[in-house]
Amino acid sequence: MASFDSMLSRRQLLRVGAVSTAVSMSGWLGRLATAAEANKTKPKRSCILLWMNGGPSTIDLWDLKPGHENGGPYKEIQTSAPGLKIGEHLPKMAKHGDRLAVLRGMSTKEGDHARGTYLMRTGQLPGAAGIQYPSVGALVSKELGDPKAELPNFISIAPQRFFSQEAFGPGFLGPVHAPLVVGDNQNFANPQGNGIDQLLRVADLDPPKSIDEASAAVRLDLLREMQEDFAAARPGQMAKSHAAAYDRAIRLMQSAGGKVFDLTEEKDDVRDKYGRNLFGQGCLLARRLVERGVPFVEVTLGNWDTHGNNFDQVKNLCGTLDAAWGTLMDDLKDRGLLDTTTIVWMGEFGRTPKINQGRGRDHYPNAWSTVLAGGGLKGGQAVGKTSKDGTTVEERPTTTLDMLATLCLALGIDYEKTNPSNVGRPIRIVDKPCEPVKEVVA
Amino acid sequence: MLIRLRVSAILAALSLPATVCASEPSPQTDPADVIAALIDKHLAADWAARNIKPTVAADDAEFVRRVYLDLIGRAPKAAETRAFIEDSSPDKRKVLVDRLMTMPGFAGYMASVTRAAWLPQTLTNIQFANAGFQFENWLRIRFRENTPADEMVRRLLTVPFQVNAQNPQFRFVQARGNDADAQTLVGFYQANEARPENLGAAVSRLFLGVKLECAQCHDHPFNVYTKEQFWEFAAFFGEMNPLPAGRPSFVGPTQPQEDKNRITIPNTDKTVVAKFFDGTDPSWSTDRGPREELATWLTRLDNPYFAPNMANRMWAHFFGYGILDPVDEPGTNNEPTHPELLQALGKAFVDAKFDNRVLIRGIVRSKAYQLSSKMTHPSQADARQFARMNLKGLTPSQLFDSMVAATGHREPGFMRQNQFNFNPQPNNPRSQFINRFSSNEKASEANTTILQALMLMNGQFVTDVTSLEKGEVLGAIADLPGWDTKQRVTALFLTTFARNPSPEELEKFASYVDRGGAAGDKKKALADVFWVLLNSPEFLFNH
Repeated sequence: MASFDSMLSRRQLLRVGAVSTAVSMSGWLGRLATAAEANKTKPKRSCILLWMNGGPSTIDLWDLKPGHENGGPYKEIQTSAPGLKIGEHLPKMAKHGDRLAVLRGMSTKEGDHARGTYLMRTGQLPGAAGIQYPSVGALVSKELGDPKAELPNFISIAPQRFFSQEAFGPGFLGPVHAPLVVGDNQNFANPQGNGIDQLLRVADLDPPKSIDEASAAVRLDLLREMQEDFAAARPGQMAKSHAAAYDRAIRLMQSAGGKVFDLTEEKDDVRDKYGRNLFGQGCLLARRLVERGVPFVEVTLGNWDTHGNNFDQVKNLCGTLDAAWGTLMDDLKDRGLLDTTTIVWMGEFGRTPKINQGRGRDHYPNAWSTVLAGGGLKGGQAVGKTSKDGTTVEERPTTTLDMLATLCLALGIDYEKTNPSNVGRPIRIVDKPCEPVKEVVA
Repeated sequence: MLIRLRVSAILAALSLPATVCASEPSPQTDPADVIAALIDKHLAADWAARNIKPTVAADDAEFVRRVYLDLIGRAPKAAETRAFIEDSSPDKRKVLVDRLMTMPGFAGYMASVTRAAWLPQTLTNIQFANAGFQFENWLRIRFRENTPADEMVRRLLTVPFQVNAQNPQFRFVQARGNDADAQTLVGFYQANEARPENLGAAVSRLFLGVKLECAQCHDHPFNVYTKEQFWEFAAFFGEMNPLPAGRPSFVGPTQPQEDKNRITIPNTDKTVVAKFFDGTDPSWSTDRGPREELATWLTRLDNPYFAPNMANRMWAHFFGYGILDPVDEPGTNNEPTHPELLQALGKAFVDAKFDNRVLIRGIVRSKAYQLSSKMTHPSQADARQFARMNLKGLTPSQLFDSMVAATGHREPGFMRQNQFNFNPQPNNPRSQFINRFSSNEKASEANTTILQALMLMNGQFVTDVTSLEKGEVLGAIADLPGWDTKQRVTALFLTTFARNPSPEELEKFASYVDRGGAAGDKKKALADVFWVLLNSPEFLFNH
């Protein structure tokens, strides 16, 4: 698409007279766009982050303590990998046990939502020396993505950013690596049915129906001329950024790439399997984006902050999670994408082994679990062991940086590579000290 | 001459409201003119030395739009623009600036800009949002009353409060006493989590322009500050930590302020006593707490950091870059581009008794501020040389307020109140804009995102205000009887760009409209033009 833009501007097209105002400009450009897209090569790897907002109760999902009073009412079930057991409310995921690497030794120090979110998503503590650390999505998509791709390389589906906005941003990598967000601001809403379709589209992607196509095309052409005039008189980064953003937006509007967000293209039974909720349909959208070569997609499932009534709530959440993630694994496998897609499941911290008076669990970063799945991994195992009561890590304590380094290895990214930061200091993709859990890397 | 001036000044004082100066200072003594002159003198000398050719002066249209945006946070309405451009009085620019500073929008805008600069965490972290509003309320009154900058900082530092630290995860700051001001002022402390290290870092960064944070954990890598110096500065806020157990009285007389002026460095056994980072100590006494000592030291007329820093921050607001930039990290890696100018500006600010309005007048009256943003010569390329006015992105509020002014959008009061970034209200366009356009970026390096472009091109609000049925200003321009196409196109330019179209622009757009555009309808063609202007960088940036 970039080469096309440099060949002909719309202004030149009009002047040449090859296109009369009766011909739809957007249709013509759309056909060229599809042709260009077919020639693109897909990135080697993709990453999907399933972000569990609120601090998921990992002791009830991945590292159960049946027989101990901290265990609660859930039972363990056997997965497809001998020796690996997980919680009973994730039956679909159990079938994919052989593709899972559970890190049971997570031990971080931040039990505050904002700080924990920032830590897990950037590997650093907030405010440290005034450096704006990029989120893992920006770091990974920068390494894996094609800067000329039609779709943005980092897409964030239904994020809940109110705890820490910066943890979802590109930080010092700059706005080019900012995520495209869909389904924003659904913090506590629970949309159903067709509402979800609308939410998961790119906001304002469709031009208003009140303007006919010919007028819309001419408007864009006149706008391009205003942009050129402005940039000629006032050259610099801001004029360029304005033009570039509009170009990419228009490309998205007019290309086939924008169609990826239209979930009505999928069959009903597929959509039912993922679950007719925001997270389920978000995972379906993630699969479609990975199919189009987007290197980093994240999908958020919230409401994990179960200080009270933990077991009923977690069971419900697991229902949503299992259906969506289990189907996602199935679909990726069927399409031959599971070997090139690494999925990382985590939240900002785990929850207390000791059950509180409200039948709930509180924040607990001292011993908890994260999970890696899919490509680049030796699945079917758990690394790290917690004590019988779940309160401490006895074997293989794993820090955030350890986990992020492991993810990078699975994706084929050199985590020691540096990027220039906003304070002039070059900063590694994953800072040191970090010890990746090599046992789970293929 | 002088007697006549004095008489007319007395008469003027009787009839004008108290906020307007009763007597015009003569140009030689008007401190604002002194400031303007020194700015221009220093820059001219620097440009000559570097062979830089500054650009042309901004015309009235460029000036009026820029100064409205910089002072009251919105672009002028068409009528305001027209009145200014057509006014033929020789001092109209000065008069406009003075008038803008009396408008409520001035205090509101300066408060919001200052709050965003002093407490950025209140815009991005929901836990601090309320503290941010509290503090902004205090700032608004300060700008309305034109409280001098040193007095503002003194009041901020010495407000009486108590800290409830029972919950280790969340400290709660409450104002002490009956001072209504204090209720809002403590927002500053709340937004910094009532932690001494955060306050030390913030105060040093904001008011002295010295970024100590790096030294919090280890000796500063690029600068001379050590970890100990950081904590010695933080110790001025030592009272915010829970008090250690009291000493038995038989141990002997206690040091004055020893319950407030020290702090234990975390993860160590070391306790340090508050010390200014130029190495000096306050002479501790029983009736002046550490925060009072800090306030006095910080705002002393001979403190070399305070005045230039505050002046530099004001400069950065108007010019897009500070003379020292980033504004809070001086050091061997970051030297001021015009060190003598910075010092002179600081001294002039002291001479003006830290009157913000004098400083603003001085900056805005300078030829440098009144340069165009157009580049006429390659030597103007470096933004830090101020040889042309730098482009600045609009804050979300500026953008929406300018949209309202340009399109005549009628906004219910409760929607207008919403400046909240976190949970945008679905039917409130202002709320949607603020959410979509919020950014941590520097105004002079602002970027446009895809979603922003989409909102401006296809969003419901823009569609409505550019529709002939719903758009108030567009409807008026399209339907006004007796106007020809050129007048209508000119009106569109005035309301969006605050200027008349050039002859070429007028010819191009008027003939487009007369041809009926792509749909064969003149009024729809006008709507097309309006849409194009509102999406243009000339509308979306402050130039």
